[in-house]
Amino acid sequence: MRIWKKLMVGFGVYVTLAAIIGIFAYVELRTITKRFTVVEVADDITNIILEVRRFEKNFLLYKDDDTFQEIKKYLAVLTDDTDKIRKEIIKEVGTDNYEMMKNAIAEYDFQINILSKNFKLQKEFISKIGVLTRSIEKNLSGDVLNSFLIVRKYEKNLMIYRDKDIYATLINTLNSPKFATAEVNRYRSLINGLFKLYREEQSSIEKIRSKARNIQTFTEDLSKRERANITTILSRSAILLLFAVLTIIILGTAVNIKIANSIATPLKQLEGITKKIATADFSKRIDVRGKDELASLGTAFNQMQDQLQNTMRFLELANEKLRESRAQLVETEKLATLGRFSAGVAHEINNPLAIINEKAGLMKDYIDMSEDFPNKEKFNVMLNAIFDSVRRCSSITHRILGFARKTDITPEAINLNSLVNEVLKFLEKEILYKSIRLELELSEALPVIKSDKIQLQQVFLNIIKNAADAVEEGGLIRISTGIKNNTTFQVSVEDNGYGIPKEMLKNIFEPFFTTKEKGKGTGLGLSISYGIIKKLGGNILVKSEQNKGTTFTVEIPV
Amino acid sequence: MRTTKVLIVDDEVEFASTLSERLSLRKYDAKAVYCAEDAFAIARSNPPDVVLLDLKIPGMEGTEIGKIIKQFNPAIQIILLTGESENKIISENLGKDISDYIVKPVEIGELTKKIDNAMKEKEKLDHSKGQP
Ligand SMILES: Nc1ncnc2c1ncn2[C@@H]1O[C@H](COP(=O)(O)OP(=O)(O)O)[C@@H](O)[C@H]1O
Ligand SMILES: [Mg+2]
Repeated sequence: MRIWKKLMVGFGVYVTLAAIIGIFAYVELRTITKRFTVVEVADDITNIILEVRRFEKNFLLYKDDDTFQEIKKYLAVLTDDTDKIRKEIIKEVGTDNYEMMKNAIAEYDFQINILSKNFKLQKEFISKIGVLTRSIEKNLSGDVLNSFLIVRKYEKNLMIYRDKDIYATLINTLNSPKFATAEVNRYRSLINGLFKLYREEQSSIEKIRSKARNIQTFTEDLSKRERANITTILSRSAILLLFAVLTIIILGTAVNIKIANSIATPLKQLEGITKKIATADFSKRIDVRGKDELASLGTAFNQMQDQLQNTMRFLELANEKLRESRAQLVETEKLATLGRFSAGVAHEINNPLAIINEKAGLMKDYIDMSEDFPNKEKFNVMLNAIFDSVRRCSSITHRILGFARKTDITPEAINLNSLVNEVLKFLEKEILYKSIRLELELSEALPVIKSDKIQLQQVFLNIIKNAADAVEEGGLIRISTGIKNNTTFQVSVEDNGYGIPKEMLKNIFEPFFTTKEKGKGTGLGLSISYGIIKKLGGNILVKSEQNKGTTFTVEIPV
Repeated sequence: MRTTKVLIVDDEVEFASTLSERLSLRKYDAKAVYCAEDAFAIARSNPPDVVLLDLKIPGMEGTEIGKIIKQFNPAIQIILLTGESENKIISENLGKDISDYIVKPVEIGELTKKIDNAMKEKEKLDHSKGQP
């Protein structure tokens, strides 16, 4: 995943979670608002009921039409309100209960109507009774009148107490034959009717009260239920919100930590490796994962590191080579300087040496010429000693000059095998004289090389001559030529002579180092040979064991 | 065979004079000079048969001197005297102006042999030219 995608995912997680919570909170708020309307209406209904009940009390007390109208008005509002929240109520209490409440309201309305009619009738009856009794009392006199007045007392008590016993006594009294008149009969039937109305009023009132209580408890219950609902919703919302916030924090943090890690981990790795590279440590590579920009950065970085490492290796190699060639150059230069210096010295010595030689020669000439030169023999011995010394000196100066003058190489095509054979010809006499066994292992596959022939001849002459010097009579010299690798040839000269003591190995290439008796060795052979081979870019190796033999190996570059 | 006229040219006076004397003792008509001018003078007035020429004379290369001497008489044989055996100048000029060379210090027997050889060569050349 690309980095911006990762970041978008991280961001997206937050946005999505926030949106979910937002929507959720919005929905919850809407629900609560709706619930509150229901509560309000329910409260309204409760209030209206209370109002209705107050008016009902008044109505029962004053039995007036105004109060009746008020009740009717509030009942209409009540019906309206219950219709308004019909759905909610049904949802809350079910259709049956709702219908029951509706019926209760209707019943209440109905009973109130009945009661209102009842009250009107009562008034009518009472006024009729008033008119009738006045007429009756006018027509009666004496005991009957007195008895009737007692009846009227009963009548009053009945109206006040509405008592059954009073009613029975009243009717009983009226049933006496004294009152057997048409008017009293009418009076009695009016009293009957009124008492009946009283009884009906009582039953209506009971019904009304019972219905009102029903409605009241219903609405109160509804309101209570709604409040409880809201409380539930609120606490549920609170818990859900808390949960959602926690989820956002945990999930968002987890996702973002993962994303941050996926970005930071490769960067950290990169940083670590960069630090390593800064200390020229190329051992670590970036572990490339995924497909984002960091992965391609990692791949590119690894490639860069490979390149850098290669370049470093190349530079190190080049530096090594440079150091080697500079060392070689220094060595060559040293050799050349030494050569020039010793050549100068040799030259300066060689001329007086020539003079000594001529002067002694002239002396010898004269001594030889005179017949009777005194101590002729003695002088001849001395002169011969001078000639020997001159020869010794000149062999040194010639060697030095021979080597020193050869600072430049003249390459020509050489076959190493024939070179060895040519050199052996120079030493034929010596080899024969000491009856040395010669073993040649000359490689057939040796190609022609380009090098300085005369100088190589000098090298092999020196080495083979040393071998010949080292072996006893009948000793062995084995010369082998071959290819070491595709850049180097080698020539080995092995002898079974007296060998070189270990502690002496480091000295044999020094100029003038010799173990041979005076006049025989100059100690220049190996030092000159070494100089030549180094100049040609080759190498001379020695392996030797005292009293067992020595092997010199010359390596020559192609 | 007539006496061989040998001219020694070398700036080492002691060497040249002594060698000259030794050759004289061996019946050569030897003469030593120590600079190029003297050599040329003698080559003109009394041309030698063989010249023993030092490889290096101050102010002039031996081979140069040899070349000039040869101009007086191309038959004159020149033997170079050198301090070292293998020398580029010798190997380059051998067989041209220089007929032979010998390494100092000189073995007198070897030298006389070389002079005699050179003389034979000289005489051959003289004869072929029809000179006495
Ligand atoms: N093949 C060999 N066996 C034993 N010693 C050797 C051999 N080659 C060289 N040496 C030792 O190395 C010394 C130096 O040799 P070199 O430089 O040729 O001088 P020189 O031969 O004149 O003594 C010799 O004197 C000898 O002691
Ligand atoms: Mg040696």
